[in-house]
Amino acid sequence: MSTLALQVRGVGKRYRIGARKQADRQGLLHRLGALARRSQTDDRTFWALQDVSFEIRHGENVGLIGLNGAGKSTLLKILSRITRPTTGRITVDGRIGALLEVGTGFHGDLTGRENVFLYGSILGMTREEVRRKFDAIVEFSGTGPFIDTPVKRYSSGMYVRLAFSVAAHMEPEILLLDEVLAVGDLPFQRKCMEFAKEMQRRDAAIMFVSHNMFSIKTMCERVIYLRRGRVVYDGPTDEGIRLYEEDCRTLSQESGLEGDGRLTVTSVEVLAEDGTERHLFQYGERMRVRIRYRAHEPLEAPNFIVAVMRADDVSCCSFSTEDDVASRPVVDGQGVVELLTPPIRLVAEMYRIFVLVRAKGFQDLIAVHGPTPIHIAHDLYDTHFGVFHEHGEWRWLDEAGSAVRRAASDTSLTR
Amino acid sequence: MSEVTESPGRISHRFEIRPDLGLFDLELGAVWKYRQLLFFLAWREVRVRYKQAALGVAWAVLQPVMVVIILSAVFGVFARLPSEGLPYPVFLFAGLIPWTYFSEALRRGSVGLVGDAELVKKVYFPRLIIPLAMVVAPLVDLALASGVLFVFLAWYGIWPTVNVLLLPVLVLVSMALALAVALWLGPINVRFRDVMHTLPFLLQIWMYATPVIYPLSMVPERWQPLYRLNPMVGVIEAFRWSLLGMGEVDVAAIGVSLAVISVVLVGGLLFFRRMEGSFADVI
Repeated sequence: MSTLALQVRGVGKRYRIGARKQADRQGLLHRLGALARRSQTDDRTFWALQDVSFEIRHGENVGLIGLNGAGKSTLLKILSRITRPTTGRITVDGRIGALLEVGTGFHGDLTGRENVFLYGSILGMTREEVRRKFDAIVEFSGTGPFIDTPVKRYSSGMYVRLAFSVAAHMEPEILLLDEVLAVGDLPFQRKCMEFAKEMQRRDAAIMFVSHNMFSIKTMCERVIYLRRGRVVYDGPTDEGIRLYEEDCRTLSQESGLEGDGRLTVTSVEVLAEDGTERHLFQYGERMRVRIRYRAHEPLEAPNFIVAVMRADDVSCCSFSTEDDVASRPVVDGQGVVELLTPPIRLVAEMYRIFVLVRAKGFQDLIAVHGPTPIHIAHDLYDTHFGVFHEHGEWRWLDEAGSAVRRAASDTSLTR
Repeated sequence: MSEVTESPGRISHRFEIRPDLGLFDLELGAVWKYRQLLFFLAWREVRVRYKQAALGVAWAVLQPVMVVIILSAVFGVFARLPSEGLPYPVFLFAGLIPWTYFSEALRRGSVGLVGDAELVKKVYFPRLIIPLAMVVAPLVDLALASGVLFVFLAWYGIWPTVNVLLLPVLVLVSMALALAVALWLGPINVRFRDVMHTLPFLLQIWMYATPVIYPLSMVPERWQPLYRLNPMVGVIEAFRWSLLGMGEVDVAAIGVSLAVISVVLVGGLLFFRRMEGSFADVI
């Protein structure tokens, strides 16, 4: 058994809410006095983390999951020593590399070369170490020809690549990764994954925070699930993700949506176009949503709606029988209705499918079902591209607004 | 990524994260480990300051010269302030140089944490590094301006004596004072940006309360004891003594300076350490 990399015992973090507002009211001097005395009277407090304990061994890859506000970022900040815990003890054995945000500390006016050294020292590397790895860093980033240009003239992609490759050469023994890292273009994302795998091979302990269960599944054999600042699960990935998805479901049920009960949606199946059951779709695939229902009384042209919500609760799109002129004049007893979506152009993310049944004309809510989680995958199009991605048509016009006839040279370029 | 073998000079390894440090645990060892970051932050300050300026570093020379010309015209020519028998511009320049360094170091040291807020929020390092780097960075300007000063003195036929050997010590003393005050103002500025807005006035008042543009002899005798509580009085006077051979070393004034600086510095270190833990949360 390998040695402990991180040992976290009883860690809690308390924040004061409204401390700032009070400061404004009470005046500077009073507040300063209170500050120095650490007076906590009057302040309302909030525990972002409470009694968190776990251990991570060298070579282990652990996913940290939880809904928004569960305390994931706070925990990472404490582990990376950016902020101090209110209670508890953490023993760290090994060089910590925290990539909560790549490129913090880069200065636009400095050249790529200068920034490599500056950022390296910010990450805790010595000058000799950076010097020794300098060529490798530049090569990995692919910014070679621009290394003596101020980075404010870099494209954002180049900027991130250079910063990341400095970080990648830090050779941490404990790596704290935030999902915000997953930015940049496809080849670069691949590099990030390669980097993580390389770290795995080197027996580094990795703690990975993400909302994307898909990447958690591919990266981690174990997850720690935080709910309202407490560890509610610590174990094999599949079971943790199941719990998490269950909570997502409860959360949306808590949203207060409830039908009046005149019809029950008995099941919702998400299928591939060929009818096999599926939860992972490629961008551009069509999806079948098969809804089984039982109406307890005859309903006049009820409107069946399939709504797609992104993991972060962005309502992405919906389909309805009324809108698509597919309503039935009367629905009664048991039945099945199936939606075949157009090719899905939503970007890669986790989504939840809700089925709603409303009375004719989008009025009273009769029944709700869901969510059913699905994943959409694409190598490139993620939420940085927007909610959906679709190719457009472009043409060039002159001042008067008429289409510019392509010059022969243009044509030769495009052909 | 090459070998995974132990590379020389790595920072880190086994440590504990606890809610609070002991009152007197200044973690100076960690500051030492991160000394290269101190160097790079200071170096960044210097690099960035004169980037994309057509005259570049020449500004570090031009600025003090301009200030000396303007102030000499106002206070030397029009107001006819006495200058202990020396040409007024010489008298002024010799006081202005340490003062300019001190006020820059204090200003940058105090606002540095907020200026690097992104860093404070996203990366770990001993926070003390920031004010330290900020008081170190203006040393470059000081060195350049001193070069101008020596040329200037030579032009007036004043040649340095052995006394100039004391200058580095005096620079260290002003650095310690700037740091000491910045250690108090910096953490307060993290929470109340009012410091940032008050600082220019504070520095202006402080300059007028220091014999920079006028000689110490102009201060009424009965106010002198109070006046000398200002640690910069001793520093500026000693500066003029070591450069111009003006007056004599006022041991009492230096003693007062050192005593005040030590108290403020130690208190500042403790205060800074105490506040440091919450910087990332409130900045």
